[in-house]
Amino acid sequence: MLFPIPGVERNEHGKPLIGLDDASLYAFGHLLRSTEQLILDLFSRGLLSGTTHTCIGQELCQMAVVRALDHEDDAVLSNHRNHGHYMTYSGDFLGLVAEVMGRKAGVCGGYGGSQHIAYRHFHSNGIQAGMTGIGAGLALARKRKDSPGIVTIMVGDGTLGEGLLYESMNLASIWNCRVLFVVENNGIAQTTYTSETLGGSIEARGQAFGLQTWRLNDADPEFSASVARVVAQVRESGRAGMLVIDTRRLGPHSKGDDLRADDEKAAIAARDPLAAIGRRLADSEREAIEARNTVFLARIEAEALASPEASFDAQRLHTFSPVSTTRIGSLQPAKASNVRLAINQALRTLLGGDERVLLIGEDLHEPYGGAFKVSAGLSGDFAGRVISTPISEAGITGASIGLALDGERPILEIMFADFLTLCMDQLYNHAVKFPGMFEDVKVPLLIRTPAGGRRGYGPTHSQNPENLFVSVPGLTVLFGSHRHNVGQLLVDAVQRWPNPTVFLEHKLLYGEAQDPADYELVAASPEDQGADLFPTLRRGADAPDVTLLSFGGMLPVVERAAKQLEEQEELAVEIVAPALLAPLPRGTLLDALLDRPRIVVVEESHHEFGVSAEILAMLAEAGFTGQVLRVGLAPVPIASARSLEREQIPDEQMIVASVLDLI
Amino acid sequence: MAVSIHAPRINNNDDQVKLIALDVAIGQKVDRGAVIGQVETDKAVVDIEAPAEGYVIGLQAEVDTMVEVGSILVWLGESADEVVPAAAAVETRAGQASGAPTAKARLLLKRHGLTADQVPAAGERLTAEDVEHYVAGKGGRTAQASGSPVATRIDRLPDVPGALRPLRPDERGMVNTVSWSRDFAVPGYIELEYDPQPWDAYAKDYADRHRLMLSPLLSLMAWRLVELARETPALNATHVGEQRYEYGEINLGFTVQAGETLYLTVLRNADTLDESGFVNAQGDIQRRAAGHRLVPAELQGATISFSSMARWKVSRHIPILPPHTALMVAHAVSADGRHVLGATYDHRVLNGFQVVNTLRKLSKPAVPDRKKENTQ
Repeated sequence: MLFPIPGVERNEHGKPLIGLDDASLYAFGHLLRSTEQLILDLFSRGLLSGTTHTCIGQELCQMAVVRALDHEDDAVLSNHRNHGHYMTYSGDFLGLVAEVMGRKAGVCGGYGGSQHIAYRHFHSNGIQAGMTGIGAGLALARKRKDSPGIVTIMVGDGTLGEGLLYESMNLASIWNCRVLFVVENNGIAQTTYTSETLGGSIEARGQAFGLQTWRLNDADPEFSASVARVVAQVRESGRAGMLVIDTRRLGPHSKGDDLRADDEKAAIAARDPLAAIGRRLADSEREAIEARNTVFLARIEAEALASPEASFDAQRLHTFSPVSTTRIGSLQPAKASNVRLAINQALRTLLGGDERVLLIGEDLHEPYGGAFKVSAGLSGDFAGRVISTPISEAGITGASIGLALDGERPILEIMFADFLTLCMDQLYNHAVKFPGMFEDVKVPLLIRTPAGGRRGYGPTHSQNPENLFVSVPGLTVLFGSHRHNVGQLLVDAVQRWPNPTVFLEHKLLYGEAQDPADYELVAASPEDQGADLFPTLRRGADAPDVTLLSFGGMLPVVERAAKQLEEQEELAVEIVAPALLAPLPRGTLLDALLDRPRIVVVEESHHEFGVSAEILAMLAEAGFTGQVLRVGLAPVPIASARSLEREQIPDEQMIVASVLDLI
Repeated sequence: MAVSIHAPRINNNDDQVKLIALDVAIGQKVDRGAVIGQVETDKAVVDIEAPAEGYVIGLQAEVDTMVEVGSILVWLGESADEVVPAAAAVETRAGQASGAPTAKARLLLKRHGLTADQVPAAGERLTAEDVEHYVAGKGGRTAQASGSPVATRIDRLPDVPGALRPLRPDERGMVNTVSWSRDFAVPGYIELEYDPQPWDAYAKDYADRHRLMLSPLLSLMAWRLVELARETPALNATHVGEQRYEYGEINLGFTVQAGETLYLTVLRNADTLDESGFVNAQGDIQRRAAGHRLVPAELQGATISFSSMARWKVSRHIPILPPHTALMVAHAVSADGRHVLGATYDHRVLNGFQVVNTLRKLSKPAVPDRKKENTQ
């Protein structure tokens, strides 16, 4: 609820309109400081939830850039120290105070607290530099829509130590889009001085990436007007820039952690730019402003205290948006001469059917055509929508999240699944957090990536990392096989499953014919999210002696083992092959497996704590009384030499031997 | 010395290539560098050249087939009559030792309580067929361990047209039971009438004390049977080899009709419970049976059983013994109000006197031990 702020008009979105005159700047700056003091006071009274980082001393620095944003598409990506940015962007003082108190009236209903705030085009997050790639993506989305909106990315000098920041600066530079990186340089991290942690110059960092770069001081009397000119120049030029603001933090980093010497604190207080503006006003005017702010904040405090504790209307047990009915283009054929062509055709269908679909990744262009040539021929036919990027896995994942947040349908290729670890923060702390915290926000991002071994690529190019990603709450993990309709899985994942998704493709299957052979669909349990769209397959005996459950690139190997067990050992063998690994189709699998006498889960990944462990735990919880076994990779790196690799990764002989041992 | 020409690796991602042409014949002389054929991947077609001059003495691959990268396509000899070298010993990974039973045969051996050396193998390895043949020859009289039907199949379809329908799990279970009773048990049946009043009073008192909505009568009678089995181990036993096998736990079978499906529910280790624990557990299992939500462990492994057809008002029912059990009590109430306790029993394990004695004890509740209950 937006309350009228005394002496301040708002635009149609509620954003305060703050003049450049001393009285207007002082009035709003004083309101920011008083709100931060109220928050510290509430903290002392035990009324706050978690931690908080105030901007006392940095009010003008935090106000100036946001104040100058006057286009409705302008965005602010902030960080742990975000209160000044947020209040200037929204004018929502009650929303902020109630949020940090964990009350229902909070802007995010208590879900975000001090550090995680989302409101229109304002987002903050507690991961240093975590949102910078997202900012580059949001800016590219604006450029694609011909919007003059600017994305401002607020970082502190401490964030200059984070690598993702530089990936993002590079992306913003080569994409020629309106991103303004704002470095609020207060000279100190929590307690460590920047002079001890920073090599080289700050502006030179921006210049090195070809960004237009400015350096201003918030104690300069013309500071706010100068910042407004910088913002105008970014808008006019259509290019990215970097603004360094020298400022000083008057308060502690968070609470009770200000270890600076008294004389240093006294010098910072003497420099205080907000107080300096106040001194330029007549005493009576200043006192009148302060008095009306005090009355306003007393009302905010009372409203926040009156708001009940945050509570869930209905607590969600998962965060997946339901399957959408929209299907664009024809169905993909069940059979294809090989899986590579099936995926290539699916990408062509997706690009041809929906302008919002973008392919993003490294070396996607002709003549190379992407990893394993899966995107061959697409860059020529869909010019401008197949985007070859720098080698910046975290940055391009962030950018893809930004594009997805703004309604595009990015399909990101990561050259080898092993490199997904570079994207982990973007997935774990960002992609799943937006829809996880806010039910109406969708991040329809799909990451395709080739996985798996038996190619002699060695320890960092041979892994199946699905075991790591299935445990990320809210992340979908798909791993089809040549028995699935892989093209249709991909089309449906992009068009009809608006959730962040990792789509694994086994290198070994690219050359295999795609053919369902004698597999049939396992009926999906209605309680399983996505189980209908991404089906589980089965083949073999109805009353099997042994059930082999496997997926992805392990399936051809399991089929050879099954043949051997059937022909040489006379066993009745069933194969069950899910494509959807997370969210695990629990009801579907239980219906198919609970009455089986022996279940062997075969996977190629490092399987301790992995997919097989979860499936077998699920069976145990449901009262399964048969025998179980896991076959997978021991917790060791995969060797390069083919002879060594063969000994490590399960083959049909290892599977057969394991089954015989079990029996 | 003969040289071999191999299928080339064209890129790292294809372990097989397609041989699309082989343009030489046995006896033909080729020059070094001559193109002798072509292979194809989905990306490229590559010529295969002779690495040396020579005569074609062997063709090892067929055109239009997929060949392994590195496999031999062609042998070249120094003369046209040189012979192809004997193939290098191919590594075979440890298979099953010859004569060892197949896995299926091992499963069957275990099921019939046999060992591999008892059963002659017709071929190199002992097969499922060998075991089935042996068991059939013995008239199926082996110690069956897990209750699967033996020699119950008639594989020739009748002459009248019809369709085969697979059995549901519970129907398969019934086939197992009937087959075991036919092939192994020597069943007898005894029944007696009893006065229902003491049991009705006891059940009503129990229901009042525990505030139960439904009558616990049948559960209480089943509990009494568990107590009797605890006192007389032969009731909870079966016949193996030439000996009586007394079970170390009492797994009470209890029939529940759920719609079309007849379940023999099994409450395992019933003897570790007390009366109220048993009644509660029995209620739970009956509720879940009605909802078809039992897990497999609750449907197998009964060691003694109780069945009531009182709700259908029949004057008598003679149950089939579940596999590997010696006693199934049959409770009935006829339309004219006669209360009947009967029992099907395996005469190899129990005699008529023991069964009558058991039914008499079961026909009224045990003297309640109030003191014990009050201390709980």
